[in-house]
Amino acid sequence: MAMKTGDAFVPKQLSEHLKESLPDVYVDDLLITLKYFIDEEEPHLWIEEHEVCMRCEHKPCLNFCPVGVYTLGSDGKIQVAYQSCVECGSCRIGCPYTNIGWVLPRGGFGVAYKFG
Amino acid sequence: MNNQRIEFDAIVVGAGLAGSSAAMVMARDGLNVALIERGRKPGGKNYFGGAVYTHAIAEVLPDYQDRKPPFERPVTEAGFWFLSETGLTRMTVQGGELNAEPADAYITLRANFDAWWAEQAQEAGAFLIPKTAVTDFIRKESGEVIGVVTDRPQGEIYAPIVIICEGVNNLLTQKLGLINRDLEPAEMALAVKQVISLKPEVIRARFGLSGEDQGLAVSVLGDVSLGLPGMGFVYTNKASVSVGVGVMLDVLVEYRLRPADILQRYLQHPAIAPLVEGGQLLEYGAHLIPEGGYKAMPKLYTDGAMVAGDAAAMVNALHWEGTNMAIIAGKLAGETAIEAHSRGDFSQRVTSRYEDRLKEGFILKDLKQYRGFSKFLETHPQFMDVYPNFVNDAIGQFFTAYGKPKQELFKGMLSGLTNRRSLIKAAGDILSMARAVMGW
Repeated sequence: MAMKTGDAFVPKQLSEHLKESLPDVYVDDLLITLKYFIDEEEPHLWIEEHEVCMRCEHKPCLNFCPVGVYTLGSDGKIQVAYQSCVECGSCRIGCPYTNIGWVLPRGGFGVAYKFG
Repeated sequence: MNNQRIEFDAIVVGAGLAGSSAAMVMARDGLNVALIERGRKPGGKNYFGGAVYTHAIAEVLPDYQDRKPPFERPVTEAGFWFLSETGLTRMTVQGGELNAEPADAYITLRANFDAWWAEQAQEAGAFLIPKTAVTDFIRKESGEVIGVVTDRPQGEIYAPIVIICEGVNNLLTQKLGLINRDLEPAEMALAVKQVISLKPEVIRARFGLSGEDQGLAVSVLGDVSLGLPGMGFVYTNKASVSVGVGVMLDVLVEYRLRPADILQRYLQHPAIAPLVEGGQLLEYGAHLIPEGGYKAMPKLYTDGAMVAGDAAAMVNALHWEGTNMAIIAGKLAGETAIEAHSRGDFSQRVTSRYEDRLKEGFILKDLKQYRGFSKFLETHPQFMDVYPNFVNDAIGQFFTAYGKPKQELFKGMLSGLTNRRSLIKAAGDILSMARAVMGW
């Protein structure tokens, strides 16, 4: 991936037909089913350097995070709703510039699956 | 060092399938075991398809049947579903060996199963420490692991042997230098799943099951992953179904796809929607699956420590195996820790015996044999695209009375393949698949 060579991240494109076949899910409708114990004091996710995100043209984190933790603020900065995180770890290795700080929530905090 | 330090004979990091297995085996042998879990209770962080395997459970807990395991249903029907854009071809098997009692595999939900599995470890005498995250190791100057640092105040816990069962995000394993690189997106599937409530009688009717003592487990290929490297699944629980899809993480990133959209598209497929219609969403979740296989495995032992389960990439994606490997590997690590205690030697001289034990059984043999499989999927996307479509078209055409000579029909069926992939390339694909599976 891009980070290995320092090249800019270049996305691939689905066919128009496939693109149109994808629904636009409002992920909050899914998250209401989840139980969280939110750590109000210590966010366990953060952007290392906002400058790097500013230069990241395509910002894949806005899409591939399965719970939509990352959104674009009106100031153009990536906002991190760590409270919704299910701790999958995708963003830690999926960010093309490894610009996402990621640790486990403190013991007892974070998602608590009821079914799994 | 003060003399009030907290000390155990062994520490297990993570009360998942591997961790509780290790703890159970060691505690039963009389070792004083700390089983550390970062969740409020075991299972709360875990999300899978999925099923657990009785061969593995029985190896650790022979009388498991008397201990009320929280199984949902036995897997009495298993196989593949091939999805085209509007069609579905089912290739499943039922009866025969799948009717064994107890069944080979039971569908379960991890919040229940892992909690029960950890309880068995506690009953054997292991001391569960929940709501506690391990952040680092305590090591001698020589590097030997002699304990862990947790996020509790004064959270150092000492033991001459530590078994790391931290799960797919193996940061502790990396910290210990057991693998000298981070995980790669191309080695990980990001799976998302919905648990959807359905009444047992509805499940029975829609999935063709005779009752709650029957269950279906299928892998779904084709349109489910937009033809991209990935796989879907359906498992029937008692009063719900688990429907999900995993796509390789590098692909999701490169195409900037939203996993929840892919799953919703799958649930809206004309052949899938009627199966879940009217069901209520009980839970949505996501988890990484380490599919890098043998080549993504860390070194499994060092002085004073061993690693098991997802943290060691013990997953055979094609066969849905992973939970069984975690349980068996945890047990073997536990047995190695017992040996280390009896010999009073916690160095690699003894912990390396863990790898020997793994080599004797199926785990390392299988992982080695399938070492080319994850690369194979990456380089052969036609198995998620061309072939599922071809199977649907060909069978559909075979059973359609067009009022044309059958010779034309067969030509049409064949061109349904050759328009997408030449026969020589198709033959090559089959050979490549055989090579990836057989480890040639």
